[in-house]
Amino acid sequence: MAEWLFEIFSEEIPSRMQPEAQEQLKTLTEALLKEKELPFESIKTFITPRRLTVVVEGLPLQTLPIREEKKGPRVDASPSAIEGFLKTAGVGREDCEVKETPKGSFLFVVKNEPGRPTQEVLSQIAPSLLEKFRWPKSMRWGSLAVTWVRPIRGLLSILDGRVVPFSYAGLEASNKTRGHRFLAPEPFTVDNFQDYEKKLKDHFVILDWEERQELIQKEITRVAHNVHLTPLEDSALLDEVAGLVEWPIAYVGAVDKHFMNLPPKVITTPMRVHQRYFPLMDSKQKLAPFFGVISNSEGSDRGKTIVIGNERVLRARLADAQFFWEQDQKKPLEHFNTALKTRLFHQQLGSLFDKVERLVKLSSRIAKHVGANPKLVERAALLSKADLASQMVGEFPELQGIMGCYYAQNQGEAPEVARAIEEHYWPKVSGGEIPDALPSLILAIADRLDSLMGFFTIGITPSGSKDPYALRRAGLSLIALSLNPHFSLSMIEVLGWAYDTYPWSELTPSLLKTKEQAVSDVWQFLLERFKFALRNGQGSPYDHVDAVLGVAHENPTFSDLALRVQALDKLMDGEDGQNLLSAYKRASNILKIEEEKDKQLYEGHVKEEVLKVSEEKALFTNLSIKSPNIQDLVAKGNFVKAVQDLATLRPYVDQFFDKVVVNTEEGDLRINRLHLLAYLRKTLHQVADFSKLEG
Amino acid sequence: MKTDFQTVILNLQEFWAQKGCVILQPYDAEVGAGTFHPATTLKALGPKPWRAAYVQPSRRPADGRYGENPNRLYRHHQYQVLLKPSPDNVQDIYLESLKYIGLDPLLHDIRFVEDDWESPTLGASGLGWEVWGNGQEITQFTYFQQVGGFACDPVPAELTYGLERLVSVLQGIENVYDLDWNSPEGEAHMTYGDVAHQMEKEFSAFSFEHADAPMIFRHFEDAEAMCRHLVENKLVLPAYEYCLKASHLFNLLDARGVLSVTERANTIGRVRALARQCCELWMENSNG
Repeated sequence: MAEWLFEIFSEEIPSRMQPEAQEQLKTLTEALLKEKELPFESIKTFITPRRLTVVVEGLPLQTLPIREEKKGPRVDASPSAIEGFLKTAGVGREDCEVKETPKGSFLFVVKNEPGRPTQEVLSQIAPSLLEKFRWPKSMRWGSLAVTWVRPIRGLLSILDGRVVPFSYAGLEASNKTRGHRFLAPEPFTVDNFQDYEKKLKDHFVILDWEERQELIQKEITRVAHNVHLTPLEDSALLDEVAGLVEWPIAYVGAVDKHFMNLPPKVITTPMRVHQRYFPLMDSKQKLAPFFGVISNSEGSDRGKTIVIGNERVLRARLADAQFFWEQDQKKPLEHFNTALKTRLFHQQLGSLFDKVERLVKLSSRIAKHVGANPKLVERAALLSKADLASQMVGEFPELQGIMGCYYAQNQGEAPEVARAIEEHYWPKVSGGEIPDALPSLILAIADRLDSLMGFFTIGITPSGSKDPYALRRAGLSLIALSLNPHFSLSMIEVLGWAYDTYPWSELTPSLLKTKEQAVSDVWQFLLERFKFALRNGQGSPYDHVDAVLGVAHENPTFSDLALRVQALDKLMDGEDGQNLLSAYKRASNILKIEEEKDKQLYEGHVKEEVLKVSEEKALFTNLSIKSPNIQDLVAKGNFVKAVQDLATLRPYVDQFFDKVVVNTEEGDLRINRLHLLAYLRKTLHQVADFSKLEG
Repeated sequence: MKTDFQTVILNLQEFWAQKGCVILQPYDAEVGAGTFHPATTLKALGPKPWRAAYVQPSRRPADGRYGENPNRLYRHHQYQVLLKPSPDNVQDIYLESLKYIGLDPLLHDIRFVEDDWESPTLGASGLGWEVWGNGQEITQFTYFQQVGGFACDPVPAELTYGLERLVSVLQGIENVYDLDWNSPEGEAHMTYGDVAHQMEKEFSAFSFEHADAPMIFRHFEDAEAMCRHLVENKLVLPAYEYCLKASHLFNLLDARGVLSVTERANTIGRVRALARQCCELWMENSNG
């Protein structure tokens, strides 16, 4: 069994692309080996800023021989038939064998492909890997026509220590690679994977991404502990830094004390986003005047110059922030709204200030209906986008909302107002935190309603990969927000309000949908997003959502729908649900056939006195007790209990189908039993349209 | 090793001359970056090899701070290198240049951090990095992929050293005005502030307070018309110079804050159209 080690050595690969690239190399190698009929035991891939590596273990030294037989026409077939066959197969008559079969003598073409040396096959696989690999963004360099994420500068390819020759991008594959850019720049020879990994470490490169990540975590924690602090948890930053260095060394730098009067996020944003530093916290979880930094080498003066340099850069950034902090607060937050008048929300939908004015109206209307204080909500809406015109947000866009909140607090706005300015951007990421406070929630919902209705009304909707206004995300956020039980309004109704808030007669979009059309389009779009959200969030299959939607009333709320789907998920997970479903299917099949035959619909008018067998009596008794209960529970929103009650019907249903024949000769009895089945169907439909469920 | 501002420039000139670059002078019109010099923009296009290096004073009216901000300048200096086609060892040559001016990569933390470059006014873009020295961006390193909407073939590598930042790292100085412009030993010592502070102060006042927006807009339209006229008459270099003038006049209007979002996008589009026509003419004459 042989081992193939292949390294693509390049200039620095962007950190954000590394995890996916490592994954892709694995999938692609696997596919190509399979295509070439090369079996293997394992594939592992690795990535650092400068190399993408795959090692395949357990390869044979030769591929398996391939014997292919192709059957042709009979020996005595017409000359034209034989000629046609020979032409397609690309052989002459003399290359054919004649074989006796039970149906007579036939011509056969037999191809015997001997096994090929693995080395030869790999020589073809390696360049085709490079060709087929897809980066999110790739480039050309020098005078070459090939593309890669950054220029390729070396190719190492060895099978059991021997070079697998091929050339690509003007380079010849070899058994050499290089270590750390500065600490060990000279090329060295590699024998096998174990040797490779070890020699890399000797040459100041940690090959394994996860190992680097863990080391960074450990080292940052260690140096923070030296000054009695702990790093702020931030897995995204950790991931990014793991892709920026091959040999991580941690240092601690100091922040000038006078900057510590700035709000914590104003300090941590330039640290994290711009400089990739780790903020450090004291024992009370308060931001400390220190930061952790990962260097790609130790520095010949043990990091003294590196630390001083990084401190200097941060000082300049914080000096900027300090300046903006003071400048921005020289005027009331509300004054920034003037600048929003010349900033476009969308050319056909007006300026950002127009949007703010709509948000004031829309969120006020919502507030009145859900029992929130409309004055607070209106104020929050009026100030919600003001900070976009502040100098701080101009320099650090990540601070939108956060600065508005700080400035509002300092200027004596109500705490709910300040909070809503920050929190109306939530959830910041899919699955992120949802605001709890009612003014924040209302404003967050109004903001998404306004965007979705505006764009859909003028015909801008997401299609395929095109969604420049991030409407899919807005839709998902709107659903997540409206799952909050405090928001009890019908989505369709509030979509209408959002439509009405636009001064359509003053705007002159090239396309303007009617209110009915626009609301319906957004609603359908939201339902699709809703299915997607439930499947991703709680693993609900699409058919469960469809079943619930099938019986929902006209103006459902998403929280109501989500609860129903959840209850149905639980039911269908168990045996009771599956049995009820098959009973339902059986009942509706029978009903469908019989209703067609009888040209009449059965709707559940069971005559108790006609019931004969004990199993049908028992089913009827249970249905008559439970059906009204279930209806009642659904109306009160207690789906869990409703579904539990439904599940208790199962034994009676099972026994009914076991013992009772529906289509009897006795006409009255048959009709009554059909009504009983219809009663069962109706009862199940109170919770969900079972016909939409897949078995 | 001497690390004053002018010695660093002299060392870079010497280094890149040794690497076969033609050492050029700054373009004698206002530009926002070394990239705008025809020795980069136009020479990046076409099949002929080209290696050039030069200092380019770069004006960014919106970045003026009246000489009061320690890092932001109305006019900073870029050291610009264009190598076409990009050599295989271009990163190594670049790092060698850092050593040549006294930046030891074993002492400092030098990093290549993803940063793709784009110039909407030139219709140009490329892939590369910002090079960090201890967390400070000291160079923009770009493999040009297209200029003026045309694909670059072969691909040039563009190195743009931010001289003020680079020298700040070398001298360990925080405030740009405190940098040594020439050798601090001797009577003739000059700081960056001695040389450039008055310019910062006055040009900030000019671009934020006194620049006459309607007049500048007229100049913009004149420059645009002249550029078109020159393109029609196939005079690519003068045409491109008027494209540069239009670009700088746009920057002035932008700093003055008189352009709405739509007007801004529209004006950028007009400059880009000029740049594109110049590049097209350049390609037709196969001057590359």
